[in-house]
Parts: sequence; structure tokens; C-alpha cells
Amino acid sequence: MNRQLHRIMVYALLSIAAFVSVFPFLWLILGATNISPDILSGKTTPGHALFDNIVKLTQQVDLLQLFYNSTKIAVIATALTLVVASLSGYAFEIFRSKLSDRIFAGLLAMLSIPFAALMIPLFVIMAKLHLINTHTAVIIPTIASIFIIFYFRQATKSFPTELRDAARVDGLKEWQIFLYIYVPVMRSTYAAATIIIFMANWNNYLWPLIVLQTNDTKTITLAVASLLSAYVPDYGVVMVATTLATLPTLFIFFVLQKQFVQGLLGSLK
Amino acid sequence: MSGLKLRAVHKSYGSVEVIRGVNLDIEPKEFVVFVGPSGCGKSTLLRMIAGLEDISAGEINIGGKRMNEAEPSKRGIAMVFQSYALYPHMSVRDNMGFSLRFAGVAKAEITRRVDEAAKTLGLEALMHRWPKELSGGQRQRVAIGRAIVRKPDVFLFDEPLSNLDAELRVHMRIELARLHKSLAATVIYVTHDQVEAMTLADKIVVMRGGEIAQVGPPLKVFDDPDNMFVAGFIGSPKINFVKATVTQVGKGTISVGLASYNNIKIDFASKSNTLKVGDEVTVGLRPQHFSPKGGLTFKLTVELAEHLGSETFVYAGNATGELLTIATTTGRDLKIGQKFEAHFAPEKALLFDANGNRLR
Repeated sequence: MNRQLHRIMVYALLSIAAFVSVFPFLWLILGATNISPDILSGKTTPGHALFDNIVKLTQQVDLLQLFYNSTKIAVIATALTLVVASLSGYAFEIFRSKLSDRIFAGLLAMLSIPFAALMIPLFVIMAKLHLINTHTAVIIPTIASIFIIFYFRQATKSFPTELRDAARVDGLKEWQIFLYIYVPVMRSTYAAATIIIFMANWNNYLWPLIVLQTNDTKTITLAVASLLSAYVPDYGVVMVATTLATLPTLFIFFVLQKQFVQGLLGSLK
Repeated sequence: MSGLKLRAVHKSYGSVEVIRGVNLDIEPKEFVVFVGPSGCGKSTLLRMIAGLEDISAGEINIGGKRMNEAEPSKRGIAMVFQSYALYPHMSVRDNMGFSLRFAGVAKAEITRRVDEAAKTLGLEALMHRWPKELSGGQRQRVAIGRAIVRKPDVFLFDEPLSNLDAELRVHMRIELARLHKSLAATVIYVTHDQVEAMTLADKIVVMRGGEIAQVGPPLKVFDDPDNMFVAGFIGSPKINFVKATVTQVGKGTISVGLASYNNIKIDFASKSNTLKVGDEVTVGLRPQHFSPKGGLTFKLTVELAEHLGSETFVYAGNATGELLTIATTTGRDLKIGQKFEAHFAPEKALLFDANGNRLR
């Protein structure tokens, strides 16, 4: 009896958690099919305004350009971050010394510095490099992600040292061990990191808002925010834009879902 | 096949010295086993020979060439690891041919060598499987196959059987002995299992605290240990050490009395001139050397009897509380508490001084 009650309570709690997680998405999708007054009145049934909302959105923003900009930034930043963070994580764990441990501790300490404190110096640096209003300015500060370096370093602890030894006996140099052994063996870690980095870059708002100043360079996240800043926001259009903006991250997540879970479990071992 | 020479080889991590001046000669085609307790430095020494650890001082010479600075792949060695270390993202065939691919060997030659090794090890049916689809024994054979295809001068094995169950371990031990015979290769094998060491080795290297305690053929090391550590480490069940006192020192002979056993007197032929009457010494009595009759007589009471079928290990004591281990094939009827007499041929007894060194 107790066991059954326990089970019911677990399912009840999980149902609440699932509802809290899923409802905003559901409401987002339903909202995209409704007009603004219906959304504000709390209507949660499908409407007939989806096509109208899409047309209005395409009239207000250059959707293709926005997607191109966001995709370009997210893909390049993700690729570069993976390279830098995995190389750093590998090096910090495999070539451990007192000095490298201290450097790593220093890096971790820097995680506590809020981005707001770095914004102005970063802006000055980008201005001096004449990179304001370029995608490069958005990408560069994200590449050396301390959190992702930490994540790779922790995951590298589970990389068997005997594999590296075997590869050395087989005649591989360090970069070859990294490329031909470490990368394929740690693919779950890479998959999980890809999702985390891609989402962070796709959803990046504050820094792009500061450095991207013209419409042709702006990202989808900035466009959604600008739709909301109108005198009377059209929530149907906002919902359509937000739904479209969510699709790429959802796609990446579902493609890499299995590896994502494995990667997270692996990093906790 | 090449031999090896280690000369005054040292390894230190900061101020901690883990290998302390090892000198060793290994002949071509010899099967040498490094054996010793955990932390004695046997695996570190093997890794130094492989080039996976730098050496702090001394010289490692393989096939007549100094190899101190050579990369692992340039030393003419192949290594089999305890955890097999198969590349999990490659098939059995790719695992076995990987090193040859990096060495620039032609594809046809790689296929030929891999197929040849697979045939030797009975791996033909597994060539397209992934490591995770193999059993422990199969993985071990693939790891050995990966070593064979390189046609190395020296094979290095780092506790290769320790992850296998007891039955498979015996089976693989036989396979390894056969393989050594068919390849006629120089093999250096690390283990903490003295049964593996005794059964496989042409030469045993017993290590303790980063030093070599004794080198020699297995039976020579068993019968004629240099010190108490070697006598205690080699042999199962473990040798009995009994405290004794020197009662007489003659020309070429030393007599001792075993105080715990009614002052049983044992005469040793010894050239040692460091002992005098009254000195404390230790006598080593191998459990296997006890017999039902003849020689010295020990009156004992059975404390515990382990009947293994083919033989019985009897743990027996007397009023002093000291226990002796006796291995016998005639002890099936012995019961706990039973009084009996065990006999020991005095010429098989070993004498050690107060520092644990053998007196011959």
C-alpha cells in the first residue's frame, strides 16, 4: 500500500514538473495560431491566424537574413568553442601539474565575474579592433568558455589513460592521439557540449544587442525582442517568431539527444 | 629477437624514488616475469622499458641499442595492457591493423599480417565485431593480436590476466605459454600472481620496494631464496617462519634450536662466520616439505584443515600458540583438535639471519 502511495506521489510530482516544462511550449505553439487579443484573454485552443501571423512577421523582418545571421554565429562559435575547450580540457587533465592546476583554479574563479562587469572592457576592445557591428565581435568572446573547458576536463577524467599509452606504443603523436582516439571515444561529451554551446549562442541576447547595430547583422533573438518592444506588440506574431526561433535548438537536441544524455552521465562519473 | 640490458636504472617522482638502481640482463627469446607485491615498482619498470615513463638515471638497452630517449614506437616493443586498451570505436580488424596503418605499411601487407595473427589466435570469426561485443578472453586475444602484428622484438605484458575469471586465466596462461613457444619471442610479463610467475617464466625477477630482490629460474628461486622476502613471496601456501636460537657454531656448520617446538635441533651446512651461539635467527619450513614420516618430528594439534581434494592444508599449532601450515596429500582424515605428528626433512630447511638474509 505504502509502495503504491509512494508511486502515485512520484507520478503526481513528475506530472506537475512535466506540465510546468511543457505548457509554455504548448502555449507558444497555440499562441502562434491565434490573434493577439485571444492570446491576452488566455485562449489555449488552436486558432486560425497562423498564416496571417507568418505573413505579418515576414513583412516586419527579413526572416531569412535573421536565420542566416543566427545560424552563422551559432555554428562558427560552437565549432570554435568545441576545438578550444576540448583541447584545453584534454591538456588540463592529461598534462596535470601544480602550475596547470593553479591556472585552472584561476579560470574557475573567473566564472564568478558577471558578464555585466566584462561588457564595457569587451566593447572597448572590439571597438579598438574595429569589429563593432560584425559577427566576429559576437563570436570571439564566447569561444573560450570556462564552463565548457571545465566540462571537458571533468569528462577527460573518464578517458582511459591506457588508451593513450596504447596509442603511443602504436606510434601516434600527441595531436594524433587527440584526433584519432580522444575525439571519437569522447563523442558523447562532444554531443552534449554541442547542444549546450549551440543553445547558448543561438539564444545569446545581451552581447549581440550591444555590438550588432544594424538590421542586416542582427540575430533572430534580437528580432524577437524588438517585436516585443513595439508600442502595441502583436503577440501572435511574437509567438510565431519565437516558435521559429526555437526550432533549430529543438532539432539539434533531438538529433543528439542520446549522446547528450550519455555525455552528461559520463561527465558525472 | 632482441635481448635487453638494464643498467643502474632509476626512477624518481620528485623526492620519491620508486625504482632504485635496477640492473638486469634479459636474453633473446627469454620469458621473464616481474613479480612482487603492489607498489613494488614492477609496472613502472615495465613502462620505463616501453618508453611510457622517462627514466631518471641509468640506461635501457634493447637489441644492443640505447633506448633511453627513443619513442615507444621506435623501441621494437609491443605492449598488452591490463585493461586490454582496445580502441572502442574500431572493429577488431581495425584495432589490430591500426599501428601498421600509422607506420605506413601497405594495405595488402596489413591485411596479410592481421589475418595471420587472427588465425594464430583463433579470431577469424570476430574480425568485424566491436570490442564491446567481445568477452574478456576474446578482448585479451585481440590485444595480443594487436601486439603480434607489429612483429616486435620484445613483448611487454602488464598484468594481462588479472581482469579474467579463474578458469579463463588458467586457459589464457596455457595459450600464452604456447604463443611464446610458437613466436620464439622475448617476453617481459608483469604480475603479482606468483602462480602465473612460476608457470610461465624462464626467469623470475622478484621485486621489492623498487629493487630487485632476486633473479633466477622459478624453481631455483623457490628452492633457494636469497632472503625472507623472496621465501615468503614465492610459494603457496606461504612458507613457515620459525624463530630459532643458535646453539652451536662449528666449522662449516651451524646448529639451531626451535624454542617453540621442544628445542628441536637442526644442523645447517653454512659458511657464514657472522653468527655466534645465542644469536636469534629464523628458520624457513616450506609447507610442501612436511611428510608423514622421517626427519624432524613436530608434535601438533590441528587448528584448521582445508581439504582441497588433491591435497589438504593443515594449520596446526602447539601450546606456544605458534601456527604451522602443512600441505599434505595424506591429510584427508584430519579433524580440528586432533593431535598428530608432522615430519620435516632437515636438509630442506632454510636459515635466515636477524636481517632476513639467507645464510648458506
